[in-house]
Amino acid sequence: MTSRLRIWLTFYRRLASAYPHEFRMRYGEDLDRLGEDAIPDVWRRYGVAGLVKLLADIAFRLPAMYLLEIRQDVVYALRMLAKSPGFTAVAMLSVGLGIGMCCAVLAECRAIVGPAPGLRDPATLATFFWSQASYPYFERYRDARQTVASAAAVMGPVPFAVVVTGDKSGRAERVSGHLVSPEYFTTLGVTPAAGRGFGPETEKPGMAPVVVVSDRFWRTHLGADPHAVGRTLRLNGSMATIVGVGPKDFLGIWPQSPADLFVPVTCGVSLAPELSGDPLHRSDREIFRVVFRLAHGVTLPAAEAALDALTRNIDRETGAWHNRDRQGRVIRLMPAGTVGYATPEQHALVDTFNVVLWALVLSLVCANLAGLLLARGSQRRREIAIRLSVGASRVRLVRQFLTESVLLSFAGGLAGIVLAYWITHVLSSLPLPSQIPLEFNCHIDLHVLAITLAIALAAGIGFGLAPALASTRTDIGVTLKKGAQAPLRGYRRFGLRNLFVVGQMAASLMLLLVTWFVALAFLSAARVDTGIEVANLNMVSLDPVRDGYSAERAAALFTNLPEELSRIDGVRAVALTGSALPSHGDSTRVSAPAANGKVGQVLNLVSRERIGANYFATLGIPLVGGREFDLRDRERDGPAILSQTAARALFGVEDPIGRRIRERDSNYTVVGVSRDMRAGLLIARPVATVFLPLTPEWFGKNAAQRVTVLVRGMPGWDTMASVRDRMASLHSDLTVFDEHTMQEDLDRVNSLAQWTSAMYVILGFFALLLASIGLGAVTAYAVVRRRKEIGIRMALGARARQVRGLVLREGTALVAVGSALGLSGAFALARVFSVYSDVLARSFGNRHNNPLLLVGAPLVLAGLAMLACYLPARRATKIDPMSALREE
Amino acid sequence: MTDKDPRDFLPLHQNWFHILLSLVGAEQHGYGIMQEVLDRTNGAVRIWPATLYGTLQRLIGDGLIEESDERPVAELDDARRRYYKLTKFGRKVLDLECERLQEMLRMVQKKRRQEAYE
Repeated sequence: MTSRLRIWLTFYRRLASAYPHEFRMRYGEDLDRLGEDAIPDVWRRYGVAGLVKLLADIAFRLPAMYLLEIRQDVVYALRMLAKSPGFTAVAMLSVGLGIGMCCAVLAECRAIVGPAPGLRDPATLATFFWSQASYPYFERYRDARQTVASAAAVMGPVPFAVVVTGDKSGRAERVSGHLVSPEYFTTLGVTPAAGRGFGPETEKPGMAPVVVVSDRFWRTHLGADPHAVGRTLRLNGSMATIVGVGPKDFLGIWPQSPADLFVPVTCGVSLAPELSGDPLHRSDREIFRVVFRLAHGVTLPAAEAALDALTRNIDRETGAWHNRDRQGRVIRLMPAGTVGYATPEQHALVDTFNVVLWALVLSLVCANLAGLLLARGSQRRREIAIRLSVGASRVRLVRQFLTESVLLSFAGGLAGIVLAYWITHVLSSLPLPSQIPLEFNCHIDLHVLAITLAIALAAGIGFGLAPALASTRTDIGVTLKKGAQAPLRGYRRFGLRNLFVVGQMAASLMLLLVTWFVALAFLSAARVDTGIEVANLNMVSLDPVRDGYSAERAAALFTNLPEELSRIDGVRAVALTGSALPSHGDSTRVSAPAANGKVGQVLNLVSRERIGANYFATLGIPLVGGREFDLRDRERDGPAILSQTAARALFGVEDPIGRRIRERDSNYTVVGVSRDMRAGLLIARPVATVFLPLTPEWFGKNAAQRVTVLVRGMPGWDTMASVRDRMASLHSDLTVFDEHTMQEDLDRVNSLAQWTSAMYVILGFFALLLASIGLGAVTAYAVVRRRKEIGIRMALGARARQVRGLVLREGTALVAVGSALGLSGAFALARVFSVYSDVLARSFGNRHNNPLLLVGAPLVLAGLAMLACYLPARRATKIDPMSALREE
Repeated sequence: MTDKDPRDFLPLHQNWFHILLSLVGAEQHGYGIMQEVLDRTNGAVRIWPATLYGTLQRLIGDGLIEESDERPVAELDDARRRYYKLTKFGRKVLDLECERLQEMLRMVQKKRRQEAYE
């Protein structure tokens, strides 16, 4: 052979040597020999072209050979998995349920703070955090083109008395709507399904009133009339032409308080009494919410800084400078375009809980996989030794194990995706247990799905690889003789098996407990905790101005009404209030001036409530200190009541009674301190609240506000019927609306939170299921592996009862150790979470001292582990000792 | 491999057919098979080494051929070579393929005769 041919032969051999190990074991030498024979022959016949073809053939076949091996691995792995159906089922169930529930439940919880339906690109919408602006300010914001692409002013929810023309009954119905600036639809990116939206050209003061109705209103009130555009509605007694019908699902910017009518602010006072007092030109009437569409590339903090600077400028120009506190930001921004008014804090809360719970459930899945794969790997050393001794390479065996793990994770992942889609489908089709007319647009978050799947795969690979690497290092001779009982490096014979049980118990318990801590913490954060005595507490709303009352007449009505109503038989107490439950719809800024050498304090974002005399007595909430408003306080705008949180923030440990505070441009004296009421959803901290008296002056200034009358009756009396009769006889021209009980009101507020909480409870139970599956499987596996030992004991004369007792005793010891480790681990983990997450730290509170949980969870798991010990042990004692001995 | 139906392998892949044909009546090693195919087809069909051994592996896996225990006389033997022979099943598959090819040939000839007659 010439030296040139030798070079070709070297290439050939190099390529041939890269063929898979098992192929080379059989055909390697043959292939080399064939090359030596063929190369001179090919050179003679075809020259260089032939040699190139020869090398190309061997090079191109190389990947095919490896693919063939992988196919064999997969087929073998499927056979092995089919041979131990119990293991396969538990592993698949574990991964499948984990992924399915994680994706589905978290998608469901996310849906509550998720984007509102019908809006274009909701992520770039923003609004002021708990505060409102005046229309002239809004116009300046709208024109700040570098920061905002567009902006809209919204007042709402605003009630309209609606009569559909052509309706024979002619009865007016109250329908909720929004008074909006002409930019409303373009800013939200909403295109009406029929007709047009509003625009600065079409909506000018003095033009004929127009209205856009929601798709829901169009269906329920207009009979889905295809010619609805052009029809007229009587709104608050004035005629308005329908110019558009909104798209499906669109119920305004905040579907949590849905709007069915959209009326431009140019409609005039006769149609919307809210617009009395010329709010479109007065910068002291801060009654509009502003929705911004941020300009391209502008972040929320950047927009906040720019709008804050702009607000200060306008303040200076208008002279409003002195009325504002100049420390910190004068305005704050938060994202808009979510289903509810989700504050950044609420977003953070839901996100934190979701991420933590997701990680915990995923850890449970990984712990299960780890336990199962490690336990199984340790039992397969005999099989591995046989394969090594007949020439399998280590790499090949490791790959074999990996294939099995990946197959398992993948099959589990697929099952999980199917489950997740099924759960979200079922949940989406359930009617929402809430009066909020909202449909969940529940989709599985593909990011969550991808990450979950990737982690499950990584866990499968990692925990599949560890036993493979350990097992392929064993001494073949010893392993062949002793099978699974051969010592693995570093562990005693019983040590390894027991370690799995202890480890699984500890991991399961720890993760289960922390999952429940987190779930319970969420429940406590989500629950509205008002402390109100709800029994026999009813409410009705009045809106005298909309019924044609003058401001003076309305003020007189409210002055006398509590007295009139409390004379009715069966009525124990009556109080007036601006809103039934303290809500965070209206926020203000309260400051305590410096006094007695103390530095003054300023409190931003204080919830402001207007309440009448006897409010707290009617609700059944005792005051912490001082007195509440009484009839005398109506005469002057002087006293105020603070919630405990507000009092503490303003005055620290000092007694706040008698101290002066300033709210906007008025001064008040603190006369009482109330207990904190938590009336908002998902609020980890109580909101600082200031209660101001409902005075005739206030009625005069805010004529368009409705007032709610709280009536506490005596048990057994139909108080509300008497109230209705008395109202009808005294004020026949007054419409009494929105009559319901406090219980109904609380249920409405709670319904969304309950829905979310139910999801977390489901997740908690599901975590228990996962922990049980993993623990049960590993424990049962450990006992099943003792069949030979049990056989020997039985053969030597041990009784079945003794053997079962032995297994259970050992099991108890292991479970006890595991429980102790798990409990300490849970506390440690909770502490770690608390350190890293402020939200969790606040929410945990006393939750992880819940005795039911701390005793219940270990008991359930321990009981299950004992059952998993007992059942296989009982079966093992029933079989013939000889067959157990022969098994391996 | 007797549980397989020999018809499942039809029509045989060209390489399979040539390898099986080379093993009829004689055991052969890889190079021998390669050479015989080359000679029989006057150089038209050349089965390259990697393809050859890939195919041999498949044929063994499917039970059409097997390794032979018999070795040639010592002076002609090369210890590195393996010899292969047809199994009964492989023979059956080859026979069926030959019948199929003959049947096709007959069809072609009949058609030609008809053409000539017309």
